[in-house]
Amino acid sequence: MLIELTVNGRDVAVDAPPDITLLDLLRDYLNLTGTKEGCAVGECGACAVIMDGRLVNSCMVLAPQADGCAITTIEGVRAPDGGPNDLQQNFIEYGAVQCGICIPGMIMAGEALLMRNPLPTREEIRMGLAGNLCRCTGYQQIVDAIEATAKGRQKG
Amino acid sequence: MPMFDYVRAKSVAEAVELLADTQCVSRPLAGGTDVLVQVRHTPPTFQRLVDVSRIPEMKIIERQGDEICVGAAVTYTEIIESALLRETATCLVEASRLVGGPAIANAGTLGGNVANGAACADGVPPLVCLDALAHVRNSAGARAVPVADLLSGPHETMLQRGDLITHFTFPVMPDGARSTFIKLGRRNAQAISRLNVAAAGALSSEGRVIFARVVPGSALPRLRRFVEVENMLIGERPSEALFETAGAEASRAMVAVTGRRWSTEYKEIALQGLVARALRQVFTVEN
Ligand SMILES: Cc1cc2nc3c(=O)[nH]c(=O)nc-3n(C[C@H](O)[C@H](O)[C@H](O)COP(=O)(O)OP(=O)(O)OC[C@H]3O[C@@H](n4cnc5c(N)ncnc54)[C@H](O)[C@@H]3O)c2cc1C
Repeated sequence: MLIELTVNGRDVAVDAPPDITLLDLLRDYLNLTGTKEGCAVGECGACAVIMDGRLVNSCMVLAPQADGCAITTIEGVRAPDGGPNDLQQNFIEYGAVQCGICIPGMIMAGEALLMRNPLPTREEIRMGLAGNLCRCTGYQQIVDAIEATAKGRQKG
Repeated sequence: MPMFDYVRAKSVAEAVELLADTQCVSRPLAGGTDVLVQVRHTPPTFQRLVDVSRIPEMKIIERQGDEICVGAAVTYTEIIESALLRETATCLVEASRLVGGPAIANAGTLGGNVANGAACADGVPPLVCLDALAHVRNSAGARAVPVADLLSGPHETMLQRGDLITHFTFPVMPDGARSTFIKLGRRNAQAISRLNVAAAGALSSEGRVIFARVVPGSALPRLRRFVEVENMLIGERPSEALFETAGAEASRAMVAVTGRRWSTEYKEIALQGLVARALRQVFTVEN
């Protein structure tokens, strides 16, 4: 079936089977492989993307459910010059990245949180990341990076 | 060949018609957070998913006279963000805050939670605590069923093929009533309930209990109000001793049904504590 959606600001129309997930659509039909498959059952958040302004696990969304929606993936998060944005830069600076597999989902969860809550407490940041698993960093540095970004954006 | 087909319904009438199609076994799809896990593990028993997640009639949250109406396709995030529900259904809002992480809360719906029929479903004890009715439609007509009567056992509901829950309604609680929800999981966030409790209550002007609801979840094979606990609260003055006694009575009532099992040693103490804590939250008057 024909699925029409906006991905990272670009309108796309994809002919895909009705029983695949949004994750498969992004990775296998649109070659956007920044979004990762971890558990494939909604537990780990590696596949998180922003759909119409809300964080979702793309492994839990059927591709045709995204028809007519605006999706932002990790490829759509960047500074105007195409390099890392402030949140991504802070992930690097605070040592929040080790093996990296969870990071696209972590960045999306961080951006989704800051969209709705520009100055979250550390507890609110933890709750914002509740659906994202990281097995290397111990989360502390990830929370630090998001906190620093919130403060940086506040200053403008 | 795809495992199943997909169609998006634009109205309740269209969804009911699609679900009634005898040529094509169809099931409702809302947030997909249960359905997509299931199809991952076992081949689907349906040929088509009918997406009901964007039907406007199923997305409403409003007060209609003395009743609150919540559409079945309302997500946990929408419940949390509703000022009306924060005021009239604190237990449902608190439960929604504790469902999954943000991505699950953004997708998962109340109707999907009830229809899925899991014993650990966090949305169900609050609905039963609020005395909610589930409004169910199929091609033969509409009916309203108390949520407690819709659930026949773990992962079993009274819903038939072709049934669609359109919305839930519940009466506005008496003046001054408060409600709460407490959950015990294996970690603080994104954990399924081992046990939970929805409770509500109100005091008379003399400070005596005139309204009480206690609904433990994951405690019994069939969820219900613990009327035996509610009755012992009515007419009493709230006190630590009363909360503890009520907690003990809740545990006794649970064990009377389940018998002593491997988990009883844990659940008995845990339920007692949860019920006492829930009642403390409901009945403790701030100065
Ligand atoms: C990682 C993860 C964490 C979770 N955490 C929790 C938790 O903490 N607490 C909790 O309670 N649950 C939890 N869940 C389970 C799930 O998110 C909830 O049960 C959710 O409410 C299901 O709603 P849905 O809209 O996604 O349902 P769907 O998956 O779309 O549907 C579930 C079932 O209900 C049927 N259905 C859906 N809508 C209707 C309707 N209107 N009428 C009739 N039938 C309908 C479907 O056909 C299907 O059988 C979790 C799930 C995941 C993957």
